[in-house]
Amino acid sequence: MKSPVRVVHYVNQFFGGVGGEDKADVGVSVTPGAVGPGRVLETALGAGARIEATIVCGDNFANDRAEEFARAVATELDRLKPDVVVAGPAFGSGRYGLACAQVCRIAQDRGLAAVTAMHPENPGASAARRGITILPTGTSTTSMPAALAALAPLAQRLGRRETLGPAEVEGYLPQGRRRVYDRGRPGFQRALDMLLDKLHGRPYRSEVPYSAPERVPPAAPIADLTRARIAMVTTGGLVRKGNPDKQVSANAVRYHRHSVAELESLSPKEWEAYHAGYFNHLVNSNPNYILPLSFLRDLERQGAIGAVHEHIYALPGVSTPVAVSAGHGRSIAADLKQGGVDGALLVAT
Amino acid sequence: MGIPVGMISAIYNFALTTGANRVIRGARIEHVCGDPTLSPEKDYAFGMHIVRTALAAITVAVPGPTLFDPMQERK
Repeated sequence: MKSPVRVVHYVNQFFGGVGGEDKADVGVSVTPGAVGPGRVLETALGAGARIEATIVCGDNFANDRAEEFARAVATELDRLKPDVVVAGPAFGSGRYGLACAQVCRIAQDRGLAAVTAMHPENPGASAARRGITILPTGTSTTSMPAALAALAPLAQRLGRRETLGPAEVEGYLPQGRRRVYDRGRPGFQRALDMLLDKLHGRPYRSEVPYSAPERVPPAAPIADLTRARIAMVTTGGLVRKGNPDKQVSANAVRYHRHSVAELESLSPKEWEAYHAGYFNHLVNSNPNYILPLSFLRDLERQGAIGAVHEHIYALPGVSTPVAVSAGHGRSIAADLKQGGVDGALLVAT
Repeated sequence: MGIPVGMISAIYNFALTTGANRVIRGARIEHVCGDPTLSPEKDYAFGMHIVRTALAAITVAVPGPTLFDPMQERK
Protein backbone atom coordinates (compact mmCIF):
# COMPACT_ATOMS: atom_id res chain seq x y z
CA MET A 1 0.00 0.00 0.00
CA LYS A 2 1.18 3.49 -0.79
CA SER A 3 1.89 5.69 2.18
CA PRO A 4 -0.74 8.44 2.62
CA VAL A 5 -0.12 11.86 1.08
CA ARG A 6 1.02 14.29 3.76
CA VAL A 7 -0.93 17.55 3.58
CA VAL A 8 -0.28 20.88 5.26
CA HIS A 9 -3.33 23.14 5.30
CA TYR A 10 -3.23 26.95 5.45
CA VAL A 11 -6.15 28.93 6.88
CA ASN A 12 -6.65 32.46 8.17
CA GLN A 13 -7.43 33.45 11.77
CA PHE A 14 -11.16 33.12 11.23
CA PHE A 15 -11.17 29.58 9.85
CA GLY A 16 -8.34 28.67 12.21
CA GLY A 17 -10.64 29.42 15.14
CA VAL A 18 -8.45 32.23 16.51
CA GLY A 19 -11.04 34.96 16.07
CA GLY A 20 -12.62 37.44 13.69
CA GLU A 21 -11.45 40.78 12.33
CA ASP A 22 -10.16 41.78 15.77
CA LYS A 23 -7.61 38.96 15.49
CA ALA A 24 -6.52 39.73 11.91
CA ASP A 25 -3.13 40.94 13.18
CA VAL A 26 -2.05 37.65 14.78
CA GLY A 27 1.11 36.10 13.38
CA VAL A 28 1.89 32.64 11.99
CA SER A 29 1.20 29.63 14.21
CA VAL A 30 1.03 25.88 13.61
CA THR A 31 -1.49 23.41 15.02
CA PRO A 32 -1.00 19.66 14.59
CA GLY A 33 -3.67 17.94 12.52
CA ALA A 34 -6.74 19.45 10.88
CA VAL A 35 -8.58 22.57 12.05
CA GLY A 36 -12.00 23.97 11.05
CA PRO A 37 -12.64 23.37 7.33
CA GLY A 38 -9.56 21.14 7.36
CA ARG A 39 -11.60 18.47 9.16
CA VAL A 40 -14.08 18.37 6.31
CA LEU A 41 -11.19 18.43 3.84
CA GLU A 42 -9.62 15.47 5.59
CA THR A 43 -12.84 13.50 5.27
CA ALA A 44 -12.98 14.36 1.58
CA LEU A 45 -9.34 13.30 1.16
CA GLY A 46 -10.20 9.83 2.51
CA ALA A 47 -7.69 7.21 3.56
CA GLY A 48 -5.13 8.17 0.94
CA ALA A 49 -4.08 11.39 2.63
CA ARG A 50 -3.95 13.08 5.98
CA ILE A 51 -3.53 16.61 7.21
CA GLU A 52 -0.31 16.70 9.20
CA ALA A 53 -0.61 20.26 10.40
CA THR A 54 -2.49 23.50 9.91
CA ILE A 55 -0.71 26.81 9.50
CA VAL A 56 -2.82 29.71 10.75
CA CYS A 57 -2.18 33.43 10.25
CA GLY A 58 -4.18 36.65 10.54
CA ASP A 59 -5.10 38.24 7.21
CA ASN A 60 -3.66 41.62 8.14
CA PHE A 61 -0.39 40.12 9.30
CA ALA A 62 -0.06 38.08 6.10
CA ASN A 63 -0.48 41.18 3.93
CA ASP A 64 0.90 44.07 5.96
CA ARG A 65 3.98 42.17 7.07
CA ALA A 66 4.39 40.11 3.93
CA GLU A 67 8.13 39.44 4.29
CA GLU A 68 7.85 38.29 7.89
CA PHE A 69 4.87 36.14 6.87
CA ALA A 70 6.78 34.57 3.97
CA ARG A 71 9.79 33.77 6.18
CA ALA A 72 7.64 32.16 8.88
CA VAL A 73 5.62 30.07 6.39
CA ALA A 74 8.83 28.97 4.63
CA THR A 75 10.38 27.90 7.95
CA GLU A 76 7.32 25.84 8.87
CA LEU A 77 7.14 24.18 5.45
CA ASP A 78 10.85 23.32 5.60
CA ARG A 79 10.23 21.72 8.98
CA LEU A 80 7.01 19.88 8.05
CA LYS A 81 8.10 18.80 4.54
CA PRO A 82 4.58 17.93 3.30
CA ASP A 83 3.79 16.31 -0.06
CA VAL A 84 1.27 19.04 -0.84
CA VAL A 85 0.09 22.36 0.60
CA VAL A 86 -3.62 23.25 0.46
CA ALA A 87 -4.48 26.88 1.12
CA GLY A 88 -7.98 28.18 1.79
CA PRO A 89 -10.54 28.14 0.25
CA ALA A 90 -10.60 31.93 0.46
CA PHE A 91 -13.86 32.59 -1.49
CA GLY A 92 -14.27 36.36 -2.12
CA SER A 93 -12.03 37.50 0.74
CA GLY A 94 -9.26 39.61 -0.80
CA ARG A 95 -6.63 39.57 1.94
CA TYR A 96 -7.18 35.86 2.58
CA GLY A 97 -6.96 35.15 -1.17
CA LEU A 98 -3.68 37.04 -1.49
CA ALA A 99 -2.29 35.16 1.53
CA CYS A 100 -3.32 31.79 0.05
CA ALA A 101 -1.69 32.65 -3.28
CA GLN A 102 1.46 33.69 -1.45
CA VAL A 103 1.53 30.42 0.54
CA CYS A 104 1.24 28.46 -2.74
CA ARG A 105 4.13 30.42 -4.24
CA ILE A 106 6.31 29.88 -1.19
CA ALA A 107 5.56 26.13 -1.30
CA GLN A 108 6.31 25.88 -5.02
CA ASP A 109 9.55 27.81 -4.58
CA ARG A 110 10.62 25.01 -2.24
CA GLY A 111 9.66 22.32 -4.72
CA LEU A 112 6.43 21.43 -2.90
CA ALA A 113 3.11 20.90 -4.69
CA ALA A 114 0.39 23.41 -3.78
CA VAL A 115 -3.22 24.20 -4.57
CA THR A 116 -5.72 26.80 -3.39
CA ALA A 117 -9.32 27.76 -4.12
CA MET A 118 -11.04 31.13 -4.30
CA HIS A 119 -13.47 33.18 -6.36
CA PRO A 120 -12.03 33.98 -9.81
CA GLU A 121 -12.29 37.71 -9.12
CA ASN A 122 -10.49 37.50 -5.80
CA PRO A 123 -7.39 39.75 -6.07
CA GLY A 124 -5.34 36.72 -5.07
CA ALA A 125 -6.52 34.95 -8.22
CA SER A 126 -6.04 37.85 -10.59
CA ALA A 127 -2.56 38.53 -9.22
CA ALA A 128 -1.25 34.99 -9.23
CA ARG A 129 -3.26 32.65 -11.44
CA ARG A 130 -0.48 32.26 -13.97
CA GLY A 131 1.92 30.79 -11.47
CA ILE A 132 -0.23 28.61 -9.22
CA THR A 133 -3.14 26.17 -9.28
CA ILE A 134 -6.39 27.83 -8.19
CA LEU A 135 -9.79 26.16 -8.17
CA PRO A 136 -12.72 28.53 -8.64
CA THR A 137 -15.28 28.89 -5.82
CA GLY A 138 -18.27 31.09 -5.12
CA THR A 139 -17.87 34.36 -3.24
CA SER A 140 -19.07 33.07 0.14
CA THR A 141 -18.69 30.11 2.48
CA THR A 142 -21.94 28.62 1.17
CA SER A 143 -19.76 27.08 -1.56
CA MET A 144 -17.45 25.47 1.04
CA PRO A 145 -18.63 21.85 0.55
CA ALA A 146 -18.24 22.05 -3.23
CA ALA A 147 -14.86 23.78 -2.91
CA LEU A 148 -13.46 21.15 -0.53
CA ALA A 149 -14.84 18.31 -2.63
CA ALA A 150 -12.97 19.73 -5.64
CA LEU A 151 -9.78 20.48 -3.71
CA ALA A 152 -9.40 17.02 -2.18
CA PRO A 153 -8.80 14.90 -5.32
CA LEU A 154 -6.56 17.56 -6.87
CA ALA A 155 -4.49 17.80 -3.68
CA GLN A 156 -4.13 14.00 -3.63
CA ARG A 157 -2.90 13.89 -7.20
CA LEU A 158 -0.54 16.85 -6.80
CA GLY A 159 0.79 15.24 -3.61
CA ARG A 160 1.66 12.15 -5.65
CA ARG A 161 3.50 14.37 -8.13
CA GLU A 162 0.98 13.71 -10.88
CA THR A 163 0.98 16.23 -13.72
CA LEU A 164 -2.42 17.85 -14.12
CA GLY A 165 -4.18 18.05 -17.47
CA PRO A 166 -5.25 21.35 -19.02
CA ALA A 167 -7.33 23.86 -17.01
CA GLU A 168 -10.47 23.27 -19.05
CA VAL A 169 -10.36 19.55 -18.20
CA GLU A 170 -9.22 19.73 -14.58
CA GLY A 171 -11.33 22.74 -13.65
CA TYR A 172 -8.66 25.04 -12.23
CA LEU A 173 -8.39 28.65 -13.39
CA PRO A 174 -6.60 29.00 -16.75
CA GLN A 175 -2.96 29.93 -16.30
CA GLY A 176 -2.51 31.43 -19.75
CA ARG A 177 -0.06 28.70 -20.70
CA ARG A 178 0.00 26.68 -23.89
CA ARG A 179 1.30 23.17 -23.66
CA VAL A 180 2.15 21.15 -26.73
CA TYR A 181 0.43 17.80 -26.71
CA ASP A 182 -0.96 15.21 -29.12
CA ARG A 183 -4.72 15.41 -29.61
CA GLY A 184 -4.64 12.07 -31.36
CA ARG A 185 -6.18 13.21 -34.65
CA PRO A 186 -4.93 15.78 -37.13
CA GLY A 187 -6.41 19.26 -37.24
CA PHE A 188 -8.30 18.88 -40.51
CA GLN A 189 -10.22 15.88 -39.16
CA ARG A 190 -11.11 17.66 -35.96
CA ALA A 191 -12.17 20.75 -37.93
CA LEU A 192 -14.37 18.69 -40.27
CA ASP A 193 -15.97 16.89 -37.32
CA MET A 194 -16.66 20.21 -35.69
CA LEU A 195 -18.18 21.55 -38.88
CA LEU A 196 -20.40 18.47 -39.25
CA ASP A 197 -21.51 18.76 -35.63
CA LYS A 198 -22.36 22.40 -36.24
CA LEU A 199 -24.30 21.66 -39.44
CA HIS A 200 -26.25 18.91 -37.71
CA GLY A 201 -27.00 21.07 -34.71
CA ARG A 202 -24.97 18.80 -32.42
CA PRO A 203 -22.96 20.24 -29.53
CA TYR A 204 -19.33 20.95 -30.33
CA ARG A 205 -16.47 22.73 -28.65
CA SER A 206 -14.07 25.14 -30.31
CA GLU A 207 -10.39 24.61 -29.59
CA VAL A 208 -9.88 28.37 -29.58
CA PRO A 209 -11.08 29.83 -26.28
CA TYR A 210 -13.48 32.73 -26.69
CA SER A 211 -13.48 35.53 -24.18
CA ALA A 212 -16.73 37.46 -24.36
CA PRO A 213 -16.30 41.24 -24.55
CA GLU A 214 -17.04 43.24 -21.43
CA ARG A 215 -20.51 44.80 -21.39
CA VAL A 216 -20.67 48.40 -20.25
CA PRO A 217 -24.09 49.76 -19.23
CA PRO A 218 -25.04 52.60 -21.60
CA ALA A 219 -24.44 56.06 -20.13
CA ALA A 220 -27.46 58.31 -19.67
CA PRO A 221 -28.10 60.56 -22.69
CA ILE A 222 -27.33 64.28 -22.76
CA ALA A 223 -30.44 66.32 -21.99
CA ASP A 224 -29.40 69.54 -23.69
CA LEU A 225 -26.75 69.42 -26.41
CA THR A 226 -26.67 73.24 -26.67
CA ARG A 227 -25.10 73.37 -23.19
CA ALA A 228 -22.96 70.27 -23.49
CA ARG A 229 -19.16 70.10 -23.57
CA ILE A 230 -18.17 67.63 -26.29
CA ALA A 231 -14.79 65.92 -26.53
CA MET A 232 -13.19 64.03 -29.41
CA VAL A 233 -11.17 60.82 -29.30
CA THR A 234 -9.69 58.96 -32.26
CA THR A 235 -8.13 55.55 -32.73
CA GLY A 236 -7.16 56.53 -36.28
CA GLY A 237 -3.52 57.18 -35.40
CA LEU A 238 -3.66 60.97 -35.50
CA VAL A 239 -0.26 62.53 -34.76
CA ARG A 240 1.26 65.97 -35.13
CA LYS A 241 2.97 66.29 -38.50
CA GLY A 242 6.29 64.44 -38.52
CA ASN A 243 5.26 62.49 -35.39
CA PRO A 244 7.43 64.49 -32.95
CA ASP A 245 5.92 62.58 -30.00
CA LYS A 246 7.21 59.35 -31.53
CA GLN A 247 3.91 57.48 -31.35
CA VAL A 248 3.98 53.94 -32.71
CA SER A 249 1.80 52.88 -35.65
CA ALA A 250 0.41 49.78 -33.93
CA ASN A 251 0.10 48.17 -30.49
CA ALA A 252 0.20 51.52 -28.70
CA VAL A 253 1.19 51.44 -25.05
CA ARG A 254 0.18 55.09 -24.62
CA TYR A 255 -2.19 57.61 -26.11
CA HIS A 256 -1.49 61.30 -26.68
CA ARG A 257 -3.51 64.26 -25.51
CA HIS A 258 -3.28 67.44 -27.55
CA SER A 259 -4.82 70.87 -27.08
CA VAL A 260 -7.03 72.15 -29.88
CA ALA A 261 -8.15 75.22 -27.93
CA GLU A 262 -6.65 77.54 -30.56
CA LEU A 263 -7.62 75.53 -33.63
CA GLU A 264 -10.61 75.85 -35.97
CA SER A 265 -9.83 72.75 -37.95
CA LEU A 266 -7.10 70.12 -38.28
CA SER A 267 -4.78 71.24 -41.07
CA PRO A 268 -2.91 68.60 -43.10
CA LYS A 269 0.11 70.89 -42.71
CA GLU A 270 0.10 70.28 -38.96
CA TRP A 271 -1.48 66.85 -38.53
CA GLU A 272 -1.33 63.45 -40.15
CA ALA A 273 -2.17 59.80 -39.53
CA TYR A 274 0.37 57.18 -38.50
CA HIS A 275 -1.54 53.91 -38.34
CA ALA A 276 -0.44 50.49 -39.60
CA GLY A 277 -3.99 49.25 -40.16
CA TYR A 278 -5.23 51.29 -43.15
CA PHE A 279 -4.01 53.51 -45.98
CA ASN A 280 -3.37 56.89 -44.38
CA HIS A 281 -3.09 59.09 -47.50
CA LEU A 282 -6.70 60.35 -47.53
CA VAL A 283 -6.60 61.31 -43.86
CA ASN A 284 -3.27 63.01 -44.53
CA SER A 285 -5.11 65.28 -46.99
CA ASN A 286 -7.85 66.00 -44.43
CA PRO A 287 -7.23 64.86 -40.81
CA ASN A 288 -10.78 65.96 -39.88
CA TYR A 289 -11.94 62.66 -41.39
CA ILE A 290 -10.72 60.92 -38.24
CA LEU A 291 -11.11 63.76 -35.76
CA PRO A 292 -14.07 65.96 -36.71
CA LEU A 293 -12.85 69.26 -35.26
CA SER A 294 -13.90 71.38 -38.28
CA PHE A 295 -17.51 70.14 -37.98
CA LEU A 296 -17.74 70.59 -34.22
CA ARG A 297 -16.34 74.14 -34.44
CA ASP A 298 -19.11 75.04 -36.90
CA LEU A 299 -21.72 73.46 -34.64
CA GLU A 300 -20.26 75.30 -31.65
CA ARG A 301 -20.52 78.60 -33.55
CA GLN A 302 -24.11 77.83 -34.51
CA GLY A 303 -24.94 77.08 -30.88
CA ALA A 304 -25.89 73.47 -31.65
CA ILE A 305 -23.41 72.28 -29.01
CA GLY A 306 -22.23 74.09 -25.90
CA ALA A 307 -18.47 73.83 -26.27
CA VAL A 308 -15.71 71.81 -27.90
CA HIS A 309 -13.49 70.34 -25.19
CA GLU A 310 -9.99 71.77 -25.40
CA HIS A 311 -8.21 68.41 -25.41
CA ILE A 312 -8.30 65.65 -27.98
CA TYR A 313 -7.07 62.10 -27.44
CA ALA A 314 -5.35 60.04 -30.11
CA LEU A 315 -3.75 56.66 -30.60
CA PRO A 316 -3.57 54.01 -33.34
CA GLY A 317 -6.22 51.42 -32.50
CA VAL A 318 -4.59 48.38 -34.06
CA SER A 319 -2.99 45.19 -32.70
CA THR A 320 -3.52 46.35 -29.12
CA PRO A 321 -4.46 43.66 -26.59
CA VAL A 322 -7.93 44.16 -25.13
CA ALA A 323 -6.61 44.58 -21.60
CA VAL A 324 -4.26 47.39 -22.70
CA SER A 325 -7.05 49.05 -24.70
CA ALA A 326 -9.36 48.90 -21.69
CA GLY A 327 -6.66 50.64 -19.66
CA HIS A 328 -6.36 53.42 -22.27
CA GLY A 329 -10.15 53.77 -22.26
CA ARG A 330 -10.40 54.01 -18.50
CA SER A 331 -7.61 56.58 -18.37
CA ILE A 332 -9.15 58.75 -21.11
CA ALA A 333 -12.62 58.49 -19.55
CA ALA A 334 -11.26 59.59 -16.15
CA ASP A 335 -9.56 62.57 -17.80
CA LEU A 336 -12.75 63.52 -19.65
CA LYS A 337 -14.73 63.29 -16.41
CA GLN A 338 -12.25 65.53 -14.65
CA GLY A 339 -12.43 67.99 -17.54
CA GLY A 340 -16.22 68.35 -17.11
CA VAL A 341 -17.01 66.70 -20.46
CA ASP A 342 -20.68 65.79 -21.04
CA GLY A 343 -20.32 63.62 -24.14
CA ALA A 344 -17.69 62.33 -26.53
CA LEU A 345 -17.30 61.31 -30.16
CA LEU A 346 -14.92 58.44 -30.76
CA VAL A 347 -13.81 57.94 -34.34
CA ALA A 348 -12.49 54.44 -35.03
CA THR A 349 -10.88 53.54 -38.35
CA MET B 1 -22.27 58.58 -13.91
CA GLY B 2 -20.77 57.62 -17.24
CA ILE B 3 -20.19 59.87 -20.24
CA PRO B 4 -22.21 58.97 -23.36
CA VAL B 5 -19.95 58.21 -26.33
CA GLY B 6 -20.90 58.16 -30.00
CA MET B 7 -18.53 55.73 -31.69
CA ILE B 8 -18.22 56.50 -35.39
CA SER B 9 -16.87 53.57 -37.40
CA ALA B 10 -17.08 52.25 -40.93
CA ILE B 11 -16.72 48.69 -39.58
CA TYR B 12 -19.67 49.29 -37.30
CA ASN B 13 -20.41 45.58 -36.82
CA PHE B 14 -17.15 45.18 -34.90
CA ALA B 15 -18.14 48.04 -32.63
CA LEU B 16 -21.60 46.55 -32.02
CA THR B 17 -20.43 43.01 -31.35
CA THR B 18 -17.70 44.17 -28.98
CA GLY B 19 -20.19 46.12 -26.91
CA ALA B 20 -20.08 49.81 -27.92
CA ASN B 21 -23.49 51.18 -27.00
CA ARG B 22 -23.94 54.05 -29.46
CA VAL B 23 -22.45 53.19 -32.83
CA ILE B 24 -22.65 55.51 -35.85
CA ARG B 25 -21.92 54.14 -39.27
CA GLY B 26 -18.97 55.99 -40.82
CA ALA B 27 -18.29 56.36 -44.54
CA ARG B 28 -15.20 54.21 -45.06
CA ILE B 29 -12.19 53.09 -43.03
CA GLU B 30 -9.90 55.52 -44.89
CA HIS B 31 -12.29 58.49 -44.54
CA VAL B 32 -14.71 57.87 -41.68
CA CYS B 33 -16.27 61.37 -41.50
CA GLY B 34 -16.66 62.35 -45.14
CA ASP B 35 -15.95 61.25 -48.70
CA PRO B 36 -13.09 62.71 -50.76
CA THR B 37 -14.63 61.41 -54.01
CA LEU B 38 -17.38 64.04 -53.62
CA SER B 39 -17.00 67.75 -54.32
CA PRO B 40 -15.56 69.66 -51.33
CA GLU B 41 -19.03 71.04 -50.51
CA LYS B 42 -20.74 67.68 -50.67
CA ASP B 43 -17.86 66.01 -48.82
CA TYR B 44 -18.29 68.52 -46.01
CA ALA B 45 -22.09 68.16 -45.95
CA PHE B 46 -21.77 64.37 -45.81
CA GLY B 47 -19.23 64.54 -42.95
CA MET B 48 -21.46 67.02 -41.12
CA HIS B 49 -24.42 64.68 -41.52
CA ILE B 50 -22.42 61.83 -39.94
CA VAL B 51 -21.25 64.05 -37.07
CA ARG B 52 -24.80 65.35 -36.44
CA THR B 53 -26.07 61.77 -36.37
CA ALA B 54 -23.38 60.96 -33.78
CA LEU B 55 -24.37 63.95 -31.65
CA ALA B 56 -28.06 62.95 -31.89
CA ALA B 57 -27.06 59.45 -30.76
CA ILE B 58 -25.69 60.72 -27.45
CA THR B 59 -28.97 62.54 -26.72
CA VAL B 60 -31.11 59.40 -26.73
CA ALA B 61 -31.27 56.48 -24.31
CA VAL B 62 -30.23 53.09 -25.68
CA PRO B 63 -30.83 49.65 -24.15
CA GLY B 64 -27.46 48.26 -25.34
CA PRO B 65 -25.36 48.27 -28.53
CA THR B 66 -27.41 50.28 -31.06
CA LEU B 67 -26.62 51.34 -34.62
CA PHE B 68 -27.33 54.82 -35.90
CA ASP B 69 -27.00 54.83 -39.68
CA PRO B 70 -26.62 58.24 -41.35
CA MET B 71 -26.82 56.63 -44.82
CA GLN B 72 -30.19 55.06 -43.98
CA GLU B 73 -31.60 58.30 -42.68
CA ARG B 74 -30.62 60.08 -45.87
CA LYS B 75 -32.67 57.90 -48.17
